[in-house]
Amino acid sequence: MSEKTEVNDIDRSLHEEKNKEKHRYKSAKGLTPEVIKEISREKDEPEWMRDFRLKALEIYKKKDVPTWGADISDLDMENIITYVRPDADLESDWDEVPEEIKNTFDALGIPEAEKESLAGVGAQYDSEVVYHNLKEEMVEQGVIYMDMENAVKEHEDLVKEHFMKLITPNDHKFSALHGAVWSGGSFVYVPSGVDVDIPLQSYFRQNAPGSGQFEHTLIILEEGANAHFIEGCSAPKYSVNNLHAGAVELFVNKGAKLRYSTIENWSRNMYNLNTKRALVEEDGVIEWVSGSFGSKVSMLYPMSILKGPRARAEFTGVTFAAEGQYLDTGAQVIHAAPNTTSTVNARSIAKDGGHAFYRGLLKATENAHGAKASVSCESLMLDNESKSDTLPIMKLQTDDIDIGHEAKVGRISEEAIFYLMSRGISEEEAKAMIVRGFVEPIANELPLEYAVELNNLINLELEGTIG
Amino acid sequence: MYNKKLVDNLTTGQSNLLSSRRRDNFDDFEDLTQADFKRINLFDYHFPEYNPYNKDYLKEKKGQDKLLTKKMTDNLNNEEEILNYLDQFNDKEVEKGNQGLDQKYLAMAKTFYNTGLFIKTPKNVEVKLPVEIFYELDEDNPFLIDNNLIVAEENSKLTIVIDYRMQDQKLEAFHNGLTRVIVKDNAVLNIVKVQRFNNQSDHFDSNISLVSNQGELNWIPIELGGRNSVTNNENTLMDDGSRASISSVYFADGERKMDLGFKMNHQGRHSSSEIESKGVLKDRAQKVFRGDLYFQKGAGQSKGSEKEEVLLLDKTVDSDSIPALFSEEDNVEGEHAVSAGQIDQQRLFYLMSRGMTKEEAKQLMVEATFNPIFDKIPLNDLKGSVINDVKTRIHS
Repeated sequence: MSEKTEVNDIDRSLHEEKNKEKHRYKSAKGLTPEVIKEISREKDEPEWMRDFRLKALEIYKKKDVPTWGADISDLDMENIITYVRPDADLESDWDEVPEEIKNTFDALGIPEAEKESLAGVGAQYDSEVVYHNLKEEMVEQGVIYMDMENAVKEHEDLVKEHFMKLITPNDHKFSALHGAVWSGGSFVYVPSGVDVDIPLQSYFRQNAPGSGQFEHTLIILEEGANAHFIEGCSAPKYSVNNLHAGAVELFVNKGAKLRYSTIENWSRNMYNLNTKRALVEEDGVIEWVSGSFGSKVSMLYPMSILKGPRARAEFTGVTFAAEGQYLDTGAQVIHAAPNTTSTVNARSIAKDGGHAFYRGLLKATENAHGAKASVSCESLMLDNESKSDTLPIMKLQTDDIDIGHEAKVGRISEEAIFYLMSRGISEEEAKAMIVRGFVEPIANELPLEYAVELNNLINLELEGTIG
Repeated sequence: MYNKKLVDNLTTGQSNLLSSRRRDNFDDFEDLTQADFKRINLFDYHFPEYNPYNKDYLKEKKGQDKLLTKKMTDNLNNEEEILNYLDQFNDKEVEKGNQGLDQKYLAMAKTFYNTGLFIKTPKNVEVKLPVEIFYELDEDNPFLIDNNLIVAEENSKLTIVIDYRMQDQKLEAFHNGLTRVIVKDNAVLNIVKVQRFNNQSDHFDSNISLVSNQGELNWIPIELGGRNSVTNNENTLMDDGSRASISSVYFADGERKMDLGFKMNHQGRHSSSEIESKGVLKDRAQKVFRGDLYFQKGAGQSKGSEKEEVLLLDKTVDSDSIPALFSEEDNVEGEHAVSAGQIDQQRLFYLMSRGMTKEEAKQLMVEATFNPIFDKIPLNDLKGSVINDVKTRIHS
């Protein structure tokens, strides 16, 4: 009756290939206004950005580290080298990318993805974008997809209007840190009515020991525009604790639709303290697809602010916490306008002492009449060494709403296994099927490229090793 | 006010051991800082002046002679027995436990109690009639700190009704209570708690229980009144097959603020728990529901469920729900569900099409929500008056 289901760890060898550290410039350890000025000077930024960084640094120094959620006391903030630039200039031709860096990317399958059908690649190697490209027809339609550094200079007005307006340095300590030392990331602008039918993808990667990564992603969809952005993260393992404190700001204007997909697969020593927010106007749609597999500690709660009437948010997420991992993830939705709707579907798996924590927020403000929301959380525990927690918070400030929430925790149902076995499927395969079925909602939401990546992470691994 | 001198007064002429316990608790009380209840905007609460409570609160009934009942404020001759029971609460550490609604309020109740009962059903005794306790607050007795200890020994059966009430609508009263409960092997204990304070009075109440092998504890907390009402109900299912249930009803209208905490700590195997809460919010009422299901390591094959249903009758209400599920065991079944919204419009129109006014239809639907839990109140006159109370307030 009490047999355990074994799901082996994701094979990480593919992702743990690390290059010898080789870079031109490393900022002095510790954060001072001088370091910040140096970063800004190196980047040749406009003055307002330098001032913004300095102001954020001041806020950072005043804020305390959050005491709830994950234990991040191991994080030695003063010793995190915040800015590392790899030894390559911005390249537009793959052949000119240095061999070492290419090897890493080859291992991750990036160039193939480009060859296949992707509209553009912005792969971040350490803290700066080394490779960037966008299909020409997109450029002709006025779509902008470039690295954040250049966007600050080339599209200064657009950036200045939106940059850190949704996530401000005042929000928390790590958003302040981000504001001070942000580096790299992507800028996407889709003009009114343009439909970018091929997913835009960027692959982030951290490589230098002790380096933090603070990429900033800013996406603006004008009225009626449509786009799909894919962010993927993978980093080799090092002994020094690594910190990732990126920021993602998404502006979805009237009637626009944005899908933001992430497969996060940081190495097991990473502190992933990312902040993601979307502001959705009238009839706009934001869809989050989120897979959290890696990192030592994650605290990640993408927020959708439904600001315009009939705006909609959907969140589909899977969290897989294995040995030594504490993954504290969840979705936040603010219904701030009439007739807005949201659906949250979160799944988590915990095994080998991993700790999966769903922490969500659902809020309906006074004028959110007619709002509809449903939140569903399911946790699968594969052994009793692991922990699984669910904490969905609901705050309702008006009456004319329809809110439903459900959560469940448990292990693989024996009845289901017996049923499948009665159909001639072996016990091992039955268990594997159930686990695969459990993560299917997210696999289905991903484009093929990433579904394959997800398969590499879970499905294929499960097949041979379960039972 | 809440100083050594008051402790000395309270312990003069009292049994030694319980007095020394009061003094120990006073040290804790002094060291602790008082919590705020942020979600109902209750900050820096000021404890009112201490007052003794001199009313009778236990209704003696025939057929209960086998029951042992003693006032905790009397000079007791069985204090060793009482301390033995109380010490059992110290052994059961719960990692995520926040025993009581706040440690400071808890220490205050343990130190400065002015009433309280020790009730014990001996082994194999079944008491048919419910025990009735009325803590009534009035002009002369506006201050209540009740420290109750209820013990259901092996194979016993008992139902207790505790009614916190007042007639005076102008009174500004204060209550900070503590009820500790021990349910031994195979015993069944039902506790109904009704709170009907006026709009100027504050109610703080901590309930903590330990349930043994195959023991069963059923709580029926009914929260209808008070300006601020902060309650906590925490149960530890210690052994094989321990069971606990909470069937809660709340009705908050006007400017009322309620912070309701329910918690089930599963420690024993095959333990089961159920939290069911039904509530109505009206006017500018604020409420937070906290429900924790905690499966501790070792609680294999346990089951827990939690369900909250809240009807929102006005735009101006503020309703928070925090249902939490913590699990350290894979072989458990835990689930929770929350639904919140208006009265179902279709059902409302159906009732109106049958000749009811909108108000009548609304009232009927609120009653339909509450009645399954009201039906568990074992005293007919109390049940009637509770139902009446809700009725009149839906209309006001």
